[in-house]
This record gives sequence, C-alpha cells and structure tokens, in this order.
Amino acid sequence: MFALSISRLLLLAFPKQPVTPRATAQCIRSLKTSQQDPPKKDDMPIKMENPYKQPPKTCILCNITVDFKNVQLLSQFISPHTGRVYGRHITGLCGRKQKEVSKAIKKARSMGFMSVTLKNPQFMKDPDICGIKHE
Amino acid sequence: MPRYELTVILKAMQRPETAAVLRRTVETLFERGAVVRGLENLGERRLPYNISKHNCLNTHGGYFSVDFHATPNIVSGLLEHLDRDIDVLRPTVLKKDVEVSKAQCCGLQNEKAKSTSR
Repeated sequence: MFALSISRLLLLAFPKQPVTPRATAQCIRSLKTSQQDPPKKDDMPIKMENPYKQPPKTCILCNITVDFKNVQLLSQFISPHTGRVYGRHITGLCGRKQKEVSKAIKKARSMGFMSVTLKNPQFMKDPDICGIKHE
Repeated sequence: MPRYELTVILKAMQRPETAAVLRRTVETLFERGAVVRGLENLGERRLPYNISKHNCLNTHGGYFSVDFHATPNIVSGLLEHLDRDIDVLRPTVLKKDVEVSKAQCCGLQNEKAKSTSR
C-alpha cells in the first residue's frame, strides 16, 4: 500500500504528458474575444504622405539648358585669375551638368566666344556660385 | 528640328557689307541643297582674343547663327568655302543638340543611390 501510494505521487509529479494549466485556456478565450471586437478607428494611425518630406536635392543647374553661347553663365564656373574651369568639388554640380558645362566651355573657347586665359571683365561682378576663396 | 547650326564670326563691318556676306553664305547653303530654318544675330562684340585671318588682325566681330537641315556630305565643302571667304573669321558647324527632358535632369539623386548601393 505504502509503495503504491509513493508511485502514484511520482506519477502525478512527473507526468508523461504535459499538463495543460487552466491559465492557457483563459488566454485562448481572451484572444478569441479580442478578434471578435471591431478595431477602434480613433486610435489607428491615419495613412498620409510624410509631412516632413524635403524636396529632392538638386544641383543649381537642374532644368537649365547649358549652351556654349551663354558665355556669362559659363564664366561663373571659371577662375577669374587664370580662366581655368573649376572642378566638381568646387562647383558643386552633379556629374551630368559638370560634364555639360566643361564641354560647353571648351566649345566656346574654340569657336571664339570665350577667352582661354582670362574671365571677361564684364562678368567679374556676377554672383559667386563656386564660393572658392583664393588665398 | 534643325540638324546643323552654323556659327560664324564676321569681321566688324558696316551694315550693308555684313548683309552682303550673310546673303552670300545663305545662297551657298541653298546651292548645296540645304534647307535654311533661320538666321540669328548674336550681336557685335569685342572678340575674347585677337583673331588674325587672311593677313588681318581683328579685335571686334559680329556673331551670327544659321540653323539649317542638310545632308552630312555638304558640311566639309561648306567649311572649305567659308575658310576662303575673306570677311568670315571663324566658321563652325555643329549638330543641333536635343533638349534633355526634365524627368531625366539632375543626376544628384542617381549618384547618391549609386554610392549607397556600393
């Protein structure tokens, strides 16, 4: 009798099948009830475009056609002392526009529109785009 | 759309003489079978550097631009003809550029995308 009771105690303590506690049954019930309720629309976030969206970054010559005849525009990208074309790190133009500008400057020089070694004195007072400080 | 653009720099002359030179050039274009679309006066200005042509040093010149449609084989003949002309300082024939559409413009965003993907 005593031995049997011990064995039964052990069986109860270490069951072969996992015991489902009553708490899980309550959880399942709660999940079912939450799905049945309709979601409150006041709390949900409203779908909208990002209100803090910034305009796309563009270079200064975006949507401006670069022409070899427009000597004043081209002269803004050359040095006033030597007439050399400024590099990309100085002008701040995107790759495409920088190429267009340098090609147009070379064209203008060979066709007799723009000087090679100097900047036209008429255009010296133009606004400074490149922002280079000559020491 | 104009296929070619002829940009000429003429000697600084009086109005009737410049008119005569332009008339000559346009007539040669017609003779060679070009369809002239238009003629623009870009102004008479001081040249960026002294151009000496036909034993004459020039400091001022008149800039003119002619758009025309033509076959490619007349271009070299036309340039030779203009080189021989005494009043023409610098003739240049270029293909007319096609304007870039606004959607493609500004490669800054494309450059950034490429750099981040690397």
